Amino acid sequence: MKRVAPPDPGALARVRALTERQLGPEEARAALAVPLGEAEEEETRSLIRWFRRRYPTPADRLAYVRRAYHRWTTARP
Amino acid sequence: MQGSEFDEAEFFRAIAASGARALLIGRRALVALGIPVLTADYDFWIHIDDIAVFNAAVEPQGLFPTRTPDEARGRGRYVLENDERVDVLVARSVSTVDGVRVAFEDVWPRRRTLEVAAGGAVAVPALDDLILTKRFAGRPKDFEDIRLLEVLRKEDA
Repeated sequence: MKRVAPPDPGALARVRALTERQLGPEEARAALAVPLGEAEEEETRSLIRWFRRRYPTPADRLAYVRRAYHRWTTARP
Repeated sequence: MQGSEFDEAEFFRAIAASGARALLIGRRALVALGIPVLTADYDFWIHIDDIAVFNAAVEPQGLFPTRTPDEARGRGRYVLENDERVDVLVARSVSTVDGVRVAFEDVWPRRRTLEVAAGGAVAVPALDDLILTKRFAGRPKDFEDIRLLEVLRKEDA
């Protein structure tokens, strides 16, 4: 598999700042007011159904995510 | 780097056996309920009087607190860490970013228990309460998780 160059630290810091910032009360209310779209809901339902079918117990799911996280962190360039 | 020999099943068993009033929150709770999201750490909300019991339960896993129980009570949170990281919330109540007060003593009786290991179970908040906990930090990714939980709610209706 071809390895890609990692983003520069400045770009990572900007992404982190965006995803980790705390929304204000008005922004939070606005975020909560956005309804689920039909396509988003169906895609998420499909993902949940697959996950629960493939990993039927909470223990299976937790173990899967530990493996997946390990794979993700070890594959990062 | 090789991680420590962390045994997740034993971790949950020890917490359950300790009797500490501990709720698994955060993304690991979403996973246990059936939502496939990645996360690096564990998040718990525990009763403010159960810090020492909780710490003693996980110490055999090599997890050590960053603060004394008194300091943790003062700050409302602390971390247990080695190669794993456990964020622990110990506040009696927390307000969401949009001003809803959520009290541990209200959330605890409504908890659900999930079997996560042979002989081991973990408590998670009821779905509505878990959604409220996602509004504590109020980051964009928390609101994305809330959308996933809303779909889970419909799926289980």
